[in-house]
Amino acid sequence: MGQREGATGLTTHAPQTAQAVTLPVSLDEAVAALSAMPTAVPVAGGTDLMAAVNSGQLRPSALVGLGRITEIRGWQYQDGHALLGAGLTHARMGRPDFAALIPALAAAARAAGPPQIRNAGTLGGNIASAAPTGDALPVLAALEATLIIAGPGGARREIPVSHLLAGVDMLRGGELIGYVRVPLLHAPQVFLKATGRTGPGRAIASVAVVLDPARRGVRCAVGAIAPMPLRPLDAEAWVAQLIDWDNNRAIVPEALTAFGEYVAAACIPDPVPAEDGTLAPLPPAVLHLRRTVAALARRALGRALS
Amino acid sequence: MTNQAATATPAAPETGPEPLPHGLGVSLPAAEDRAKTEGTFPYAADLWAEGLLWAAVLRSPHAHARIVSIDTSHAREMPGVRAVITHEDVPGTPMHGRGRADRPVFASDVVRHHGEPIAAVAADHPDTARMAAAAVIVEYEVLEPVTDPEHAFEAEPLHPDGNLIRHIPLRHGDPDAAGEVVVEGLYRIGRQDPAPIGAEAGLAVPRPDGGVELYIASTDPHSDRDAAAACYGLEPARVKVVVTGVPGATADREDQGFQLALGLLALATGCPVKLTATREESFLGHAHRHPTLLRYRHHADAEGNLVKVEAQILLDAGAYADTSGESLAAAVSFACGPYVVPNAFIEGWAVRTNNPPSGHVRGEGALQVCAAYEAQMDKLAKKLGVDPAELRLRNVLATGDVLPTGQTVTCPAPVAELLQAVRDFPLPALPKDTPEDEWLLPGGPEGAGEPGAVRRGVGYGLGMVHMLGAEGADEVSTATVKVHDGVATVLCAAVETGQGFTTLARQIVQETLGIDEVHVAPVDTDQPPAGPSSRGRHTWVSGGAVERAAKMVRTQLLQPLAHKFGMSTELLQITDGKITSYDGVLSTTVTEAMDGKELWATAQCRPHPTEPLDEHGQGDAFVGLAFCAVRAVVDVDIELGSVRVVELALAQDVGRILNPAQLRARIEAGVTQGVGAALTENLRTNRGVVRHPDLTGYALPTALDVPDIRIVKLVEERDVVAPFGAKAASAVPVVTSPAAIASAVRAATGRPVNRLPIRPQAAVVTAS
Repeated sequence: MGQREGATGLTTHAPQTAQAVTLPVSLDEAVAALSAMPTAVPVAGGTDLMAAVNSGQLRPSALVGLGRITEIRGWQYQDGHALLGAGLTHARMGRPDFAALIPALAAAARAAGPPQIRNAGTLGGNIASAAPTGDALPVLAALEATLIIAGPGGARREIPVSHLLAGVDMLRGGELIGYVRVPLLHAPQVFLKATGRTGPGRAIASVAVVLDPARRGVRCAVGAIAPMPLRPLDAEAWVAQLIDWDNNRAIVPEALTAFGEYVAAACIPDPVPAEDGTLAPLPPAVLHLRRTVAALARRALGRALS
Repeated sequence: MTNQAATATPAAPETGPEPLPHGLGVSLPAAEDRAKTEGTFPYAADLWAEGLLWAAVLRSPHAHARIVSIDTSHAREMPGVRAVITHEDVPGTPMHGRGRADRPVFASDVVRHHGEPIAAVAADHPDTARMAAAAVIVEYEVLEPVTDPEHAFEAEPLHPDGNLIRHIPLRHGDPDAAGEVVVEGLYRIGRQDPAPIGAEAGLAVPRPDGGVELYIASTDPHSDRDAAAACYGLEPARVKVVVTGVPGATADREDQGFQLALGLLALATGCPVKLTATREESFLGHAHRHPTLLRYRHHADAEGNLVKVEAQILLDAGAYADTSGESLAAAVSFACGPYVVPNAFIEGWAVRTNNPPSGHVRGEGALQVCAAYEAQMDKLAKKLGVDPAELRLRNVLATGDVLPTGQTVTCPAPVAELLQAVRDFPLPALPKDTPEDEWLLPGGPEGAGEPGAVRRGVGYGLGMVHMLGAEGADEVSTATVKVHDGVATVLCAAVETGQGFTTLARQIVQETLGIDEVHVAPVDTDQPPAGPSSRGRHTWVSGGAVERAAKMVRTQLLQPLAHKFGMSTELLQITDGKITSYDGVLSTTVTEAMDGKELWATAQCRPHPTEPLDEHGQGDAFVGLAFCAVRAVVDVDIELGSVRVVELALAQDVGRILNPAQLRARIEAGVTQGVGAALTENLRTNRGVVRHPDLTGYALPTALDVPDIRIVKLVEERDVVAPFGAKAASAVPVVTSPAAIASAVRAATGRPVNRLPIRPQAAVVTAS
């Protein structure tokens, strides 16, 4: 016996059985490969998928790698919208040129984990994993983004991102998220997340606020506190009419505080009173979460309007 | 770094132009640095043997359950599976354990914690092994877990030995003494995981004589060998533990249960068997820091002089005793901290629960009580209206004072000097004074921090730990030094865990023999025992043994020359491979003096004995003590409760600096572990089942979480009974940093902060 030299050679996790790995170069080829092998799993950045493989929870019989599909790794403009490729990495979205287009998505991408994760993880992967803590999700919900789904035979269909996240409209066999259509609003947007630490971490709560000056609207989504991003629609409509849109979008500070509390109460409602009318107080941890959401929403709107 | 005190240490007598760093007191780099940096250093997980099999362990998914039946037939029938073993296949003693043999190798009738091993499999592929382990059918009758240590006293016994592992009722002084000012508090400390960077791994190779060799990253090879031999029913001589590269150890590194399974599988199959634990298994299997509940009452007079401390300390040991008794002794003995307390009444218990196992993690016992007594000192200062640092200074311990255990502090205890050093060190600039610098807000660079909501706080912590084993433990180490052909070799079974022992051993031999090229041999159990790599032992006992052996070699080398020159060996000195007399008249080279001979010497170092604590917690239980003062500066976002530690200024009592760079690295590593304990590290459970046993759910400090670490002062007052006068340096910063951080958060928010790690909701200031 002897000690192995260097880090090469067999590792404990290397499966001996050869796996089918397909590396298509176009979206339609990828869809065709997935349709041909229904048990194959598509992989883009692999930041969630490979963790599951390494821990032994997932042994995909075949993989379809999406990394070589250049058409989904950039973005293009389409009548007032940006058509974002699903293969855009967080690192790419975090760059200043992208931040000038969709600031909140850029902020969410920069906050999404350590550099290694941001270099690999993609926008489409964030949507497909649909983890509650996915940082791009509240931003896409607030932007009311639309997903363009590629299906067999060159078919394309569009579904709102919230429909996919809510499970109203699921991906069907052989389908892939091709693009994400996001409106270009030319106005401030803010994404804030609380992690409870200084280093990169998963969100305890996150808030995205986008302004839509053309419609004189405010759109807000709260992430990480529920299985999918929550939209406090009443709070949005209420605060939008308090903003002086013609005068530098001015707002009184009290309105910001009230907005924060409105959002927090909408997302984390008071418990329903018992039959005898008594009201159990929220547990301390939930109360803290509500205060966190309130502070994030107030800060986010304040920064968007300042 | 502002501190350059380290370089002022007298180094080896230097002559001639710029010799290479050499001897004690210089920053000799570690020999394995290059291999570790280049990735060629062989860790346990890199081992390989021809025809090896892969092992997997089946672990309990329940925290507490009765095993109704175990059916291994399906697993055995799987192609590629070579052996499946359970409790029925343990030929030797079925129980093992570090402190007390109360832990079954494989659970037989009952499982007492989540992750307890039930069966092990060897197969020709790791995936096959895991699938076969999963195919072992275990029928459980799930039992109600005991997860609250306070309930352990009256709960049904979880173990034939009962639920109380140890009780120490410390009584010192007058029970009726009372102070004019009384403060009380209840404190909770979470479960820190040692989280070594490399998970447990090992390789077992059967020997032709029916024995087995274990290639493992053991930190205590001889104890592990003895445990393995007892389990296998073999005499210790037929079991050999070979220590491989240790990928990080701040605790008793290894989960013995997995080592034992490995050897059993090798013996059962006659093939080498390898096991690499997943991160999840690592979290479940090894020992954690004791979660602790502490209740305190401090009495002081109107001037703030401590009169009496009453405390109750409850350690959650998990299902098995391990070294909980030792941890409890440390917690009870240091419950008052480095302060003079004339009257102390401390009750300590370590109890059994169905929570994850606890055991030795550095700073055991001392970390938990430090967080509590320092919180009490803050409360007292607030109540008396005295500056917290000033209040501490009025009460600090010094050499000659008596600990609550009745032991007199005979070693240097420059606590006041340490505290003054950190207190008087300039505070870091406020962000408003340095507007050109980017201000890293709590919450991080892309976080939600808002300058208007940030409050800064400054807090202090004073900590102490004991060095070496306590309460009569036989702390002995043996080392051999060999010199041949101008090259010295050290053979000592002290394991290099990253603490720097091999570098120190080289420095000691260089210093004593004047030979530059010194090698430290790999460790195995064919060498005489050196004891565990923990509690700062090896600098003291193994370093002492190496020095004695080197001195014996020196005498052997110089005796003939001294005889020839007609002078005593003390009058000759060795520098740079040359032997010269005190007056410089006589001179020869080491090579010449060696004359082709090979010189060997073996020596032991055994510190002065200690005694167990008696029924009132009294006794001279500790060999040596080390002290540290930390001043923490934190920024707290008082709306979100996020905390960023801005700076930790530290002064430490180190006895003597033997390797400045290494010392600094050890202190910084210790502080970092302390930051984790203070802010993020807590292995959470739900009814005894570990939640998130992975490095995403268990948040270790990253570079952004770690503050600027300022080593303000290293006090070099030599401890006369310690070899070289040096004190162990790694543990005491871990112990003290969390208390200082909590103190600073208290100062910033005015909240009590009585729990570690500090949860965001404990650092929020509400408007009302």
